[in-house]
Amino acid sequence: MAAIHLERIPTDISRRTFLQAALASGAALAGPRRAWAQETPKRGGTLRVGFYIEAATMDPHLSGSKIDRQVYHNIYEPLVVLDTNLGIKPGLAESWQQPDSRTVIFKLRRGVKFHDGTDFNAEAVKFNFNRMKTEPKSVRKGEVASIDTVDVVDAYTVKLNLKRPDAALLATLTDRAGMMVSPKTAQERGTELERNAKGAGTGPFVFAEWVKDDHLLIRRNDAYWNKQGGPYLDQIRYRPIPDDTVKLQSLQAGEIHVMDYVQPRDVAAVKADRNVVVVDVPSLADFAYQLNHTRPPFDNKALRQAVAYSLDLEQIVKGVWLNVGVPANGPVPPTSWAYDRSIPFIKRDLAKAKAKLAEGGKPGGFTFTVTTNNIPINVQEAEVIQAQLAEAGITMKIKLVDSATLLADGNGRNFDMISYQWSGRPDPDGNTYQFFRTTPGTSLNWSGISNPQIDALLDRSREVGSQVERKKLFSQLTRLLQDELPMVFIIHPIEPKAFSPKVQGYDPIPDGMMRFKDVWLK
Amino acid sequence: MVTTLAAAPARPLPDRRWRLIRRAAQSWLAPFGAAVLLLAIAAALLAPAISPHDPLKQDLNHALARPDRAHPMGTDNVGRDVLSRVIWGTRVSLTAGFGSVAIAVLAGGLLGLVAGYAGGRVDNLVMRVMDAVLSFPPLVLALALGAVLGAGLTGVVIALGVVYTPTFARLMRGQVLAITAREYVDAARALGVPGWRVAWSHVLPNATAPIVVQASLSVAFAILAEASLSFLGLGVQPPGASWGSMINAGRGYLQQAPWIVFGPGAALFVTVVGLNFVGDAIRDALDPRLRA
Amino acid sequence: MGLLILRRLVATVPVLVLVTAGVFALIHLTPGDPIDAMMAESVDDSVKRQLRSELGLDRPLYLQYATWMGRLLQGDLGRSIRNSEPVIQNVGRRIRPSLQLAGLAMAISLLVATPIGILSAARRNSALDRVGTSFALFGICMPNFLIALLLIFVFGVTLRWLPISGYVDPLEEPWDGLRSLALPAITLGVALAAVITRTLRSSMLEALSEDYIRTARAKGLTDGAVVRRHALRNALIPVVTVLGLQLGTLIGGAVITEYVFALPGVGRLVVDAVFARDYPLVQGVVLLIAVGFIMSNLLVDLLYGWIDPRIRHH
Repeated sequence: MAAIHLERIPTDISRRTFLQAALASGAALAGPRRAWAQETPKRGGTLRVGFYIEAATMDPHLSGSKIDRQVYHNIYEPLVVLDTNLGIKPGLAESWQQPDSRTVIFKLRRGVKFHDGTDFNAEAVKFNFNRMKTEPKSVRKGEVASIDTVDVVDAYTVKLNLKRPDAALLATLTDRAGMMVSPKTAQERGTELERNAKGAGTGPFVFAEWVKDDHLLIRRNDAYWNKQGGPYLDQIRYRPIPDDTVKLQSLQAGEIHVMDYVQPRDVAAVKADRNVVVVDVPSLADFAYQLNHTRPPFDNKALRQAVAYSLDLEQIVKGVWLNVGVPANGPVPPTSWAYDRSIPFIKRDLAKAKAKLAEGGKPGGFTFTVTTNNIPINVQEAEVIQAQLAEAGITMKIKLVDSATLLADGNGRNFDMISYQWSGRPDPDGNTYQFFRTTPGTSLNWSGISNPQIDALLDRSREVGSQVERKKLFSQLTRLLQDELPMVFIIHPIEPKAFSPKVQGYDPIPDGMMRFKDVWLK
Repeated sequence: MVTTLAAAPARPLPDRRWRLIRRAAQSWLAPFGAAVLLLAIAAALLAPAISPHDPLKQDLNHALARPDRAHPMGTDNVGRDVLSRVIWGTRVSLTAGFGSVAIAVLAGGLLGLVAGYAGGRVDNLVMRVMDAVLSFPPLVLALALGAVLGAGLTGVVIALGVVYTPTFARLMRGQVLAITAREYVDAARALGVPGWRVAWSHVLPNATAPIVVQASLSVAFAILAEASLSFLGLGVQPPGASWGSMINAGRGYLQQAPWIVFGPGAALFVTVVGLNFVGDAIRDALDPRLRA
Repeated sequence: MGLLILRRLVATVPVLVLVTAGVFALIHLTPGDPIDAMMAESVDDSVKRQLRSELGLDRPLYLQYATWMGRLLQGDLGRSIRNSEPVIQNVGRRIRPSLQLAGLAMAISLLVATPIGILSAARRNSALDRVGTSFALFGICMPNFLIALLLIFVFGVTLRWLPISGYVDPLEEPWDGLRSLALPAITLGVALAAVITRTLRSSMLEALSEDYIRTARAKGLTDGAVVRRHALRNALIPVVTVLGLQLGTLIGGAVITEYVFALPGVGRLVVDAVFARDYPLVQGVVLLIAVGFIMSNLLVDLLYGWIDPRIRHH
């Protein structure tokens, strides 16, 4: 298995290079379209998957945790799905049209049944959107906020009437906000749906059982509507293993077949291990630090820029992340169509840093505190940054906290610089709007930035339909962000996933979700 | 294991202390323990002078290097010299250990003294509070206190101090009760000697020995506890490091670079063992029945 | 005797009240909020505010405490904020693995420590004694996550004899269950064995030096008989005490072992709850652990009084 070593990190990383480099190691595991097409998939077997925590709820409308999504993408299906290039493809909706910027018409797939036997149709879709908007504990409200009403045109046609143009809506519908739950089961089961999702989805696997804190089991759906390819596995067993060293060792010992994430420090060793196959999945994520614009020292733009010029992103990506990722030029990852390779990431320039310090009125340097999560790689990154800033005369103190405290400090704007690792969304809007748009009250705009130009760009990017147009807007945005610095962007990480060699047919999609429809065990 | 040796009123008896030391020195364990302890303290005090490299200096090009002449304990994941960090780590670990036990001895000793001496409702109240602290799962207590007090070594030291206070409170109270029951104290009281003086000249000197024994063992446990707390994410702020946080940071590299763990691990183990030897030796020396 | 037990039980009430007040204050003082933690990536402030008011989290602290206490007195420990299940149910699910782990650890430690402790005392200052005490020292001087990691590395990864993570209930599948608990039980058992060895050794030494032992020796009884018949019985008393105290501690205290080996035990439950600021769960579980600890202390005291003839006729 060839190890991916980006020895020289190009300053302009083309999206194709990023994807190709990352997926090269996954060639052996690719789906029916590639090298293993000759082998006939075998039916049967139990796939054992290890994640770091267990799912929180089985109700996709109430779900706030990333791990939940991993299970959902196997038992529920969204209206539209993502492909390897983040293109939007038909899911439960066969096709769609947008006659004007405030209307979306979906033509639904026929002959699909929920696991409880009821039909999937336009009424079901309407029910789901209403549920997302009106259910008290619904976490999807913000995601479907642009939808005003849903009309059932006929049994298999649905019309969404939007309050305002929303170019990002379709991408949002590829995940939880587009997942269809059986109205019958949802109504009958009420709050029990969170524990027991039997019969609720349409996906290739059916929810079987969930023994809390121990395992979650899903079984093959033999009545699945898509007769091409899988599902092949008899069942999938998810288990939470919180310690990632133990998780890796479980994989190496054969106790699990799949793990969702390999720590950068383990990647090289694991790639050399013949008992394990590693697939580098390029992600949608951006890892950064938010700077607090509402108080000193970072209310001062020059000082923010001084920090940005003092950082050596290449050294961080190489030394801390061991090249499992690329330096970031902004919030949009290389996997996205909106990524602008012509904008370089901010390079280290100590002379400019010193100049900015002087401009900001602190020629001798200044002191601030970074708040970051107490996990090993964050600590390491902070220590490296501390050393880099010290060379410019800036003293950074490190404050380690647990995640609840991090959230409290962030939401309360009680920080100078705070770590923010965003897992990413398929549409660039998901990586930008809520962070940089002026928002009163508590929001994910922790930096407190309020810049009319940025606001205008963000709003426009939602209204404009053409991807070409939108890409230009996001490029402008990225340049502005590099100047205003609500965040200092560090890396777009790769998510290495590890498998037992028995696992065949895995098709990696950049959203990091592990879909097992076409996977089979040798 | 309260000693009966403390029956006689305590006056500084140099030859008695000398006898204790002589007895303790009979086995090789106690001197070894004492030597380790002195070495650790010396390392902590002399760290700037004796450490071969700057413990904070990163060298990302030589990360995870095997031990060699330049780096007897290898380098860690950002290229820092492990030996230097272990030497500097002595400061942090010993502060955590001694600091928390100092807090516990002072707070617990005071509470125990007051409770034992005052008796009645005060005794009841104090001991109920101590029982409550003891019944609290210690890791949870330390974790929550640490989160409240804020990140960092201070938080951990205070948290551990709180966790160990009841032990010393009980110990002190037990001593007070045992000693004040003796006739000579009654006599002193009858003679009108003020309470605090009785406490000072009679109770405290006799209570010292068991407390010292317990303290030395507690320091060992506190150093280990700090390591466990760093496992859960609590503790000294980087780039400073205690042995515990070094082990914790290094455990992900156990297969590739075990020296990151074994360097501080060995230091931790040896120091804790040494402290145990010292504590055991003092206890053995004070118990006449264990005379060989 | 019954009256004594009742009196002791009543005396525990103020302690428990203090524990509840303490944990309530402490967990509410920690920065952060369970709703924020649950919905970290959500922007919906209105949803969060509604949830908070539903759970009463926006009311003054003393009122929240009073409400909680009120429900407690009616036997209701509340519901976990994260999974809406009653606290009792959450604990009930986790208590079995914890008890099994603790039991197995104690069994292992006794198996190992008893012969070593007795022999060390019987042959004091011999090479055997030295080895025994060194082993004992080793067990308590290593941080237990290090012991766990080494065990995993040796037995799980290199030799592949034992599973390194996950829990199988021995009551349902005895062989697999015991195997899944083996490494964690050894981890805990090593430290426990060390404590028991030392306790047993010193109490044996004490017992062996008692007058009645000298009398028995003078009467001509062989060493073995002396040891077995007289000294051991009395020497075991402090060991029982230690074990009883350790049981109370093990239930809520095996956090790190549970974490490393992915065992769904009570220790991990409460620590995860602290990290998630799941207030009712933390309060409820800490209270239950405190109750367990106090009960085991009480049991040990009673047992002690019953075993030790000197105290029985007090």
